[in-house]
Amino acid sequence: MRLTDASVVIRPRTSWEAIDLGVLLAQRHRALLMTSWAIVTLPVFALITLLLWDYLSVVVLVFWWLKPAYERLPLLILSQALFGSAPSLRQALKSFPSALKPQLIASLTWRRLSLSRSFYQPVQQLEGLDGLPRAQRIAVLGQKDSRAARLLTALGSTLELTFWIGLMVLFYAMIPPQIEADWSWRSLLDIEGEWNWLEHLTNGFYALVLIVWGPVYVSCGFALYLNRRTALEAWDIELGFRKLRQRVMGSAVALLLGGCLALTLLPSSALAESALNPSMTDPSMADEIPSESGNSCPLPPLDNPQTDENVASPDSPRLRNQLLTSQASQDAIHSVLEQPPFKNPKPVSGWRIAQPKQDASHDARSAETLTWLARLIVGLLNVGKTLSTLFGALLWTLVGLTVAWVIWRYRVWFATFVGKSTPKAIAPQDLPQQLFGLQVRAESLPADVADAAERLWQQSPREALSLLYRALLSRLLTDYQLPLRSADTEVQILARIAELKQPSLDDFSHELTRHWQNLAYGHQMPPDQARQTLCADWRKLFAQGPGA
Amino acid sequence: MSLSHAEPGIAAPLVLLDTRVRMETPEGIDLILRPAGLLPRSVAFGIDLMIRGVLLGVLFFVLGTLGDFGTGLFMLALFLGTWGYMVLFEVLHQGRTPGKQIMGLRVIHDDGTPIGWSASVLRNLLRFVDMLPFGYCVGGFTCLQHPLFKRLGDLAAGTLVIYRDLPPQRSSLAEATAVSPPLPLLLEEQRAIQAFAERHDTLSPARAQELAAIVTQPLQLATSPDPHYPVQQLHGIARSLAGSS
Repeated sequence: MRLTDASVVIRPRTSWEAIDLGVLLAQRHRALLMTSWAIVTLPVFALITLLLWDYLSVVVLVFWWLKPAYERLPLLILSQALFGSAPSLRQALKSFPSALKPQLIASLTWRRLSLSRSFYQPVQQLEGLDGLPRAQRIAVLGQKDSRAARLLTALGSTLELTFWIGLMVLFYAMIPPQIEADWSWRSLLDIEGEWNWLEHLTNGFYALVLIVWGPVYVSCGFALYLNRRTALEAWDIELGFRKLRQRVMGSAVALLLGGCLALTLLPSSALAESALNPSMTDPSMADEIPSESGNSCPLPPLDNPQTDENVASPDSPRLRNQLLTSQASQDAIHSVLEQPPFKNPKPVSGWRIAQPKQDASHDARSAETLTWLARLIVGLLNVGKTLSTLFGALLWTLVGLTVAWVIWRYRVWFATFVGKSTPKAIAPQDLPQQLFGLQVRAESLPADVADAAERLWQQSPREALSLLYRALLSRLLTDYQLPLRSADTEVQILARIAELKQPSLDDFSHELTRHWQNLAYGHQMPPDQARQTLCADWRKLFAQGPGA
Repeated sequence: MSLSHAEPGIAAPLVLLDTRVRMETPEGIDLILRPAGLLPRSVAFGIDLMIRGVLLGVLFFVLGTLGDFGTGLFMLALFLGTWGYMVLFEVLHQGRTPGKQIMGLRVIHDDGTPIGWSASVLRNLLRFVDMLPFGYCVGGFTCLQHPLFKRLGDLAAGTLVIYRDLPPQRSSLAEATAVSPPLPLLLEEQRAIQAFAERHDTLSPARAQELAAIVTQPLQLATSPDPHYPVQQLHGIARSLAGSS
């Protein structure tokens, strides 16, 4: 056991943290631990089940009772994995019987119900203590952390039970309800029937749960044991001291070595100097140099001036003894530099003359004509390529022009459909207030124009007609939004009314305008039935009331 | 921020197992977190469950005297106790429910920041998945298999249950006259010597001499017929490293 080889960080921990370390340790060797556990326990479980087929609870009890025997296997694996490499499955299984033998009876009888089982297991299995020495050892170890070990066992058995019930619940949840109903019927009818296999399946769930939890439990106990020993024997301090010793003594050794080399270097460097001048030395002597330096202590590269020069050159490989060598980092840098954004390679296609092969043995003239021809063809092909680019540009321009022309040609048609904003309503203050010297504002009119006109007709038909005409103009301005101006004549107004294409309004307006003109300019009194028709028509046209 | 051991390391293929994770903040400060495993967490949950059970039981009998109105109030209390207890304590009490407080745990975001409302609500809502199919089987299983001991709720909410750091206690050094170290020591080495002097009373004398023998030569400790003399000298170095106070 060498502390420097430990695969966990050695440091005194709280007992809970030690247990967590055990979980981590079991996680790391999860596959090996669980497989080996399954290989050992499942046949044992099958054997017990077959032997005690009719005693269901006894099967579980015996299987549970034998737990300390199986627990020796994970501890065997973990103890090897902690200070070195984990054994293979075959090796672990092979060495299991020898680990099983010592103190097995004690483990399975009077120590079986000890709650600190996993904590003290390494004492008997790894330290091989028995009897009084074991008791003393346990007394020392148990001064601390034994409470955590007991809690671990108690919580562990709770966890086992929980997982077991969980698996059963999961199993029953998976059964379709119809079958379940059927089952409860049959189990009600014959309790002594062929239902043993179901109970054995339930027992089997316990074996499955142990595959998951068993190794973790052992690992946690082992971690507690390690933690206790770390605290007792100051393993972390020993590690620190050993590192200190290595640092200080290691450099001292290097110094000694350097001094020794300085002595051996003198003759060999003299030889090297002569080797630099090959004309002056004979080759046999130059050949001797490596053999001689091979006999002496090997030179550390930094102590040799020549290798120093090599090291100094930027391209020489450095950091050769590390995981990240300079070569690897150079490669990584180059591969990064080959990618965008540093380099943006773009495929360019075109015709080029193939490079003539060096070893081709054509005679000069044919080669010359060939290259001449080839150049011509390539030139033509490349001209074609330029032309195609030009033509492409032309085509695109044509497409653009066509689109522009189409838009221009059908601009009116587009204007019809592409939304013109709706014409703004003429603001009320823009409306003319007087036409032909008549007030046309809606406020200056009576509420019921036709009634007022009928009443007025008796006294002065002129006022009645003027009222009607004013009301019509007012309605034209407000209801029909006709852009009447004070400069318009009566006929122009009639023409605008005609544009509205409303025959009844048109007729009424003509009739009224005729009577109004006759009366206003010709002083001809309108006939009496005109009163009826005009008022009735007014009511028909504008019955909905003013400003509707 | 990144968890150091979650990243694929270039250098070491097999990292040493440790219960501490080192997390680097954007400011370049290393936070050391100690994720808590299944067992302390289940004990903490048990304590919380007991507290809630006792409180609700008392409330049930007190409110039972009020008839239907009391039953209604109890239902409200039950709802609040089921859903609010964990969340309220975690967010308003620095990630500690009473159970976690007793066990020395706290909940944080897995980047080391204090837990917020959304994460806490999420991790506690997902208890209903972790509970399946019986008694937190799913949660317990994931907790055992995850390197940072997270259950499903923690995975979803991005939270982590860690051990609280207790304020360090100054332990007494062994009595000795201060001796200055003969050569400059690295921080780790200084710590080892300090720890040696601090834990002198838990070490047996024979073991202490054995440990001191490792560094007798490199630290040029004077040899003497008394086998305990190097230990005294180491204690002296520790005292000089600790300073005068």
